Amino acid sequence: MGSDYKAPGTFVLAMIFLATFIAFYFMNFKYLSSLWEVR
Amino acid sequence: MALEQDMRTCSITGLKVHKPAENLIKANAVFAVVCMLLGGVLALAVALTRWPVTQRIIDSDLFYRALTGHALDMLIAWIIFFEMAGLYFGSAVLLNGRVAAPKIGWLAFILMAVGGLTINYEVVMGHATVMFTSYVPLQASPLYYLSVILFAVGALIVCCLFFATIVKARLDGTYTNPSLPLVTFGLACAAIIAVVTLAHGAIIYIPTLLWSLGIIQHIDPMTYRVIWWALGHPSQQINVCAMISCWYLLGTLTVGAKAENQKLARTAFVFYVLFINVASEHHLLVDPVISPAHKVWNTGYVMHLAVLSSMIHALKVPAGIEKALRRQGYNNGLFEWLKKAPWGNPSFSGLMLSLLIFGFMGGITGVIFGTEQVNLTAHNTWRITGHFHATVASGTTLAFMATTYYIVPIIFQREMVMKGLLKFQPWLFGIGMILMAGGQMLAGIYGIPRRHYDIFTFGGNPLTVAWDPTAMLFMTIFGVGAIIAILGGVIFVLTVVLSIIAGKKVA
Repeated sequence: MGSDYKAPGTFVLAMIFLATFIAFYFMNFKYLSSLWEVR
Repeated sequence: MALEQDMRTCSITGLKVHKPAENLIKANAVFAVVCMLLGGVLALAVALTRWPVTQRIIDSDLFYRALTGHALDMLIAWIIFFEMAGLYFGSAVLLNGRVAAPKIGWLAFILMAVGGLTINYEVVMGHATVMFTSYVPLQASPLYYLSVILFAVGALIVCCLFFATIVKARLDGTYTNPSLPLVTFGLACAAIIAVVTLAHGAIIYIPTLLWSLGIIQHIDPMTYRVIWWALGHPSQQINVCAMISCWYLLGTLTVGAKAENQKLARTAFVFYVLFINVASEHHLLVDPVISPAHKVWNTGYVMHLAVLSSMIHALKVPAGIEKALRRQGYNNGLFEWLKKAPWGNPSFSGLMLSLLIFGFMGGITGVIFGTEQVNLTAHNTWRITGHFHATVASGTTLAFMATTYYIVPIIFQREMVMKGLLKFQPWLFGIGMILMAGGQMLAGIYGIPRRHYDIFTFGGNPLTVAWDPTAMLFMTIFGVGAIIAILGGVIFVLTVVLSIIAGKKVA
């Protein structure tokens, strides 16, 4: 009964999405840090 | 007896279709496709002008006319006309009811059609080269502003008619379930956002009309920007709500997906209504009129409540599809359901590409570019143009294209023609848009500005910029993507028009 409501594939896709989100967020702030150096 | 004569039963869905509603859907859908055709032609002119291979193919005056017309036709006319068709479908057809006042619907359609066509005329004739935002002190002709107001009033009337039709369905007893269908609920949220959006449009465009007539002498540019963006960005949130409604509809129509835990989906739609409009402030992050603390609070915290809604939907829609396909027996491993999904069905592939591009490209970049710190480097660069070409131009348009492949048989009662070619249409459009929007965003990182006619020679100005060659590579990719996407758009328009005219009658 319980298995009928599971969507493990979508869960993995969501995790890939989350990882992409984090990576892109990090890349943008890393790039920003190279433009705005703290001296 | 007379009441029954104006209804028919759809042979595909079993729904009762009110004939006046059907005619209103047809008229709005046809105009949507016409506007897409106009916007697509202008898109080609804009893209070829900015593509390094064919740079400056038209002169600067024509470029800014084409850019203005392209944005208005694609971001406003194509999308809003289609949404109006969606509102009639979501109220009258899905609730088995009748449009509350068809004559008012036709009045609204005429206002929108006259407004839309006049906007195009004014832009093409060079009377309104003010671009989509029409920032003051750029001034267009009074007729342009009047046409925008006419279009907005027409759309506002349809929103009111949508709510009246829901009430009528309740009063007539054609829909007795305590909750609205999820698709209709999503469209209702889109209509609520539309009312707020169009009210802001009236607040800013009526004085701007008076200014262009010389009755008002001055409009403060900062005030204009603040109020205009309460129209400019929320108008795209109407699209997001309507697009997500289409996702749920397409999930059901293509693989029989059921939206389980609907309370969560409905809560997510309500979050849009409550929080999405404040996200429009991210357009003002470089403006001095809003305090830094407010900007940080808004774009750092409130915006994420709206983003949460998108994430809930982006999880629920594929989860519903996965469950439906697993119920059909595709149960092996994690992704058999994905491999065996009906990818040859253009409505399904359009839905999935819409989800993918909207989420991975448009959504992620939207959140990040809407963060105050990052926005200061991304503002007015091509990164922003790439972002909204991934959201509205790719996500929403693909969802609407995919829905059209069902609207033609259900409402026009015609089978789609050239089904073999249609299988490739979402892929062509989707992949083209990935290359195009990706090229724009990556070139934007190198500082390539948006809205600029000539970044190659700067019109012979001695103060030029030497661009990194990598930026030219990404601009070249952009151009290739644009041409592929336009080809996908041509196939869409061609097949839809041919199907309506010469498609086989649905039994």
